[in-house]
Amino acid sequence: MCANRLAVTTLHLTGEKPHGDADGFGPLGLRPALFSAFMDLSLIRYGYPLVLIHGAGEDDLVLPLTEIMDGILIEIAPRGIEGERMRRHLLGLEKEIRILVAGGRAESLTRLWDRAAAALLSGTDGEPRRSLANSLEQARENLRYDGEVVDCREETPARVLKHIWSVAQNNKDRKLRETIDTLALKLSHILQADFMKTEEAKSAVNLKHSFGGAYESVFSFEELSRILRARPSEGPLPEKRRQRLRSALSVLQSWTFFADPGTDGEANRPTDSQAFVHDGIFSALEAYRARQPEMIDLIKAMSIAELEIQNNYRESKHDAFFDEFDEQSLEPEDLALFPGYLVCLQDGSLEAAGKSELLDALSSSLPIKVLLQNHDILDGPAAGSSQASSGIKGPQLAAMAVSLNTAFVLQASSSHLYPCRDSIFKGMAGAGPALFNVFSGSTGDTPASTAGSSHLPPYLLAAAAVESRAFPAFVYDPGAGEGWSSRLSVGVNPQAEVDWPVHHLSYEDEGLQRHTGEVAFTYVDFAACDRRNAGCLAPIPPARWNDEMIPVNEFLDLEEDQAEEKIPYILMIDNNNVLHRLVVEDKLIHAARRCRGMWRNLQELGGINEARAQEMLAREKEVWEREKEKELAQLREQTPSAPDQPPSAGQAAEVEETGPPEPAPAADAPVDEPYIETPRCTSCNECTDINDRMFAYDENVQARIADPDAGTYRQLVEAAENCQVAIIHPGKPRNQDEPGLEELALRAEPFN
Amino acid sequence: MTTSATRCLLRTLDENYALEDYQSGVPRWCIGCGDNAILAAVQRLCRDEQLPPEKTVFVSGIGCSSRFPHYMHTYGFHGLHGRAFPVAEGIKLKRPDLHVFVVTGDGDCCSIGTAHWIHAIRYNMNMTVLMHDNGIYGLTKNQASPTSPQGLKSNTTPRGAHLEPINPVSVNLGIRNVSFVAQAVDWIPELLHDIIAAAYHHKGFSFVRVVQRCPEYLPDRYDPWVKNPDRMLLLSHADGIQISPELSRVYRHQEKHDPADRNRAREIASVSDPMPVGVLYRNRNMPCYEDLREPDKPYTPSMVGAALNREFDKFTIWPENGEDGGAGKRG
Ligand SMILES: Cc1ncc(C[n+]2csc(CCOP(=O)(O)OP(=O)(O)O)c2C)c(N)n1
Ligand code: SF4
Ligand SMILES: [Mg+2]
Repeated sequence: MCANRLAVTTLHLTGEKPHGDADGFGPLGLRPALFSAFMDLSLIRYGYPLVLIHGAGEDDLVLPLTEIMDGILIEIAPRGIEGERMRRHLLGLEKEIRILVAGGRAESLTRLWDRAAAALLSGTDGEPRRSLANSLEQARENLRYDGEVVDCREETPARVLKHIWSVAQNNKDRKLRETIDTLALKLSHILQADFMKTEEAKSAVNLKHSFGGAYESVFSFEELSRILRARPSEGPLPEKRRQRLRSALSVLQSWTFFADPGTDGEANRPTDSQAFVHDGIFSALEAYRARQPEMIDLIKAMSIAELEIQNNYRESKHDAFFDEFDEQSLEPEDLALFPGYLVCLQDGSLEAAGKSELLDALSSSLPIKVLLQNHDILDGPAAGSSQASSGIKGPQLAAMAVSLNTAFVLQASSSHLYPCRDSIFKGMAGAGPALFNVFSGSTGDTPASTAGSSHLPPYLLAAAAVESRAFPAFVYDPGAGEGWSSRLSVGVNPQAEVDWPVHHLSYEDEGLQRHTGEVAFTYVDFAACDRRNAGCLAPIPPARWNDEMIPVNEFLDLEEDQAEEKIPYILMIDNNNVLHRLVVEDKLIHAARRCRGMWRNLQELGGINEARAQEMLAREKEVWEREKEKELAQLREQTPSAPDQPPSAGQAAEVEETGPPEPAPAADAPVDEPYIETPRCTSCNECTDINDRMFAYDENVQARIADPDAGTYRQLVEAAENCQVAIIHPGKPRNQDEPGLEELALRAEPFN
Repeated sequence: MTTSATRCLLRTLDENYALEDYQSGVPRWCIGCGDNAILAAVQRLCRDEQLPPEKTVFVSGIGCSSRFPHYMHTYGFHGLHGRAFPVAEGIKLKRPDLHVFVVTGDGDCCSIGTAHWIHAIRYNMNMTVLMHDNGIYGLTKNQASPTSPQGLKSNTTPRGAHLEPINPVSVNLGIRNVSFVAQAVDWIPELLHDIIAAAYHHKGFSFVRVVQRCPEYLPDRYDPWVKNPDRMLLLSHADGIQISPELSRVYRHQEKHDPADRNRAREIASVSDPMPVGVLYRNRNMPCYEDLREPDKPYTPSMVGAALNREFDKFTIWPENGEDGGAGKRG
């Protein structure tokens, strides 16, 4: 429906012209009908506020306040009335904290908790107060987390990402410190062992010193020294090796990589501001380069230490390699041991130059982690005016970054940061570059964006952006395996397998009759949250509703000719919770189609509804079934008498007799040449003791006849008799003149 | 953690150890002693696995069998009678990077060392144990051991041993967190090697009882089994030891036994005739003590020093005033 037709339709349905402007639309406070449950966010439990956990590990990076409270209740609230009361008290506290945070209080959880608890308690007295105090006290004792509490606002993405980044940094710092300490310790052990071989170590003075004061007088250290010196020893390490060990050790003992230059070695914690957190790509790269030489030295010393500790340093080969050790020698897994450099960017500030700088960084292998925060993601009519000024949009950039196939790319809005926390951590902890493209849901606070384009709280707008597929969440990890579907994941999106997520809606009509139905949340619902789109929507009073009107999602599914006869509408509610139908202009319908097309692409790449994959799967299955059938047929042929029944439960094990033995070919008939069944030789030395030129061991220390003429037939026969496993076969005598052959032949008989 | 340079340089090392590189000295064992076969099988394993000699350690107690470390050109610790396990445990705990082998005898392990043995099974530390079971004290010249057959006349049992022998394999299977038990015989070298290799590859305490002939003091003890292959029961499994066709021709009596089946393992272990040979039991999921106890940080000298000083400080007495010469009581 073109703008014109919207007017015609509205006229046709209502007898009036559409208002067509934000002023007529805004005061109604219209919002998508599915938001009816979210009129006042302070009253409901949802994903915010988030607590950025202090001292967090990989497993509890951030937690919604609700989860912390639920965890405490599981611990302390008993079943029954008492537990129910505790639950009420604690949820009251949660609400109080939520209101404080929404009011702009930026504090740690424990402070907010105490403040909220005091406020609640001051409002009661007597028994209720005692009971409340008791619940809150117990809960407080079981509060195991603390951390900054953040609401969903414009600055939230940066705070959450910086927090997760710093957890990743701390992890790296700890691991690297441990690795390096271990290496240094082992190197010092080698040097210490070397020292123990010296005259100095064995001197009476040193022995006395190492002994301590207590019983010194009862020992003769001179004598001890004399005994130790008399023992032969291997001698000290070559000087060159000792130097190498010392210089590697000194690098390993003096590094301060994570510290700000200037802080002392002991206290070096990761510091962010100057060294690692930046507001531009260029300064991040500069900071990286400034630290590169130290990193190269450190990795070189670590490599030398590792080789030395494993006793695998070969001067002839490795000296040359380490002489030329430089940044070319570093691999991604080396970089992954070191800090990532965090860059926080706003989409509005990304001009063309900034964009190419960003893409360059993302296509490198450097640990540059970029947060790109989006404020205005609307495509289509509403964004028309702002597009020119803001240039490239976040989602476009994210798509480009994915196509580079070098960077970790994550796209999510503020509402989905918590579900994406592990992926965010992975991107932060990984070796290479990463792009985090985030929509904060806040449109009103920045002068750069179209001021106040939505009257919705940022959380709702952020959630709506993901829900409507306008800003789908995804993670692209180029290292996650072969093929798109293992690298791209879209699973965090609500109902990711369908075009639009569908929800339940129930309402009452004017006659107080209850209605329920399924309502889809489409791109149009999201676009309708933006005042700038007011002109594309027109409310139609219930009296004028008719069968031509169908929900937008159904309309989008129609073929063009069928669509001609229908009028698409969405459901919205106003400030008084009254339901409205609004007919939708063509422009928005086109934008919704485009959005759906992109979403379907994403689904397919992410392995959802992937037509080709499904086809392939079916083919594979068919092939597999055919092969299986063939194998089974073969098996049936081979074992015609095999019982069909599986072995009964009583038959714990099958004992098999492998038929009558085929005699070993060599033992088939008596042979003239002497021989040994070498593989059965037990290396017992019986035969070699008789004649070690006639009998010799092979490379497995098992005997063979090395030279049958290196001894007598008598020796052969004796060896055969002595061999406890009877594997020596003497054969026929080679020298017919040997005395006593007749008797020997008889004795040889049983062994031939 | 290794750096990419280390990994890449290690790949280019063309170290190649031959069996001779693991040999050291001429064994002082009697000619015909089954210990020779075990030594040969172990040296083959070291060569096949290319174990760096300086990263390999053989720990033993006292006995003929316990002389083993002398004949390996690796690190060795010829310890105290019955105390091979605690020494090996100490080594593994401090140096988990080493390949640790324990060589012990029936006297060393099942007599004086029993307490250590039982707890070593419990600890389940990653090491390969070869228990040379000749059913006698060989080194001290012919005294009955806990595995000697009932009625055996020896220097300490002139009227014949009174008791039933202990079954070392069953004892292992009786410990709840046993993780690997096998039985081998010195006279089937191919299987001896394969079983020791399986033990080596198992991560955990891998106990191999090697039935070993002592031609000096019990010359005929195992003759019935050596001479009649049909009295041997070879255990095989797709997930265990596979038996070559050549061997199958001689040893026809075989059973498919899944090493995961502990109950059947117990049944098999309890029978001595036919004599079972193979891997009786293996549980790959049993945690190793050294992993459970892995320190979260390297113990640097300064850390150890600080911890010791903290402890000492608890007992340090500070004189209240100089007069009582340091022996002052604290109020
Ligand atoms: C504490 C202590 N007690 C006793 C002995 C004496 N001793 C030396 S070896 C040995 C028995 C060794 O038997 P076994 O372990 O079966 O080794 P084999 O010689 O049979 O290989 C004994 C009792 C000793 N060396 N130390
Ligand atoms: S006494 Fe027995 S166990 Fe000891 S070396 Fe001689 S044969 Fe071997
Ligand atoms: Mg013995």
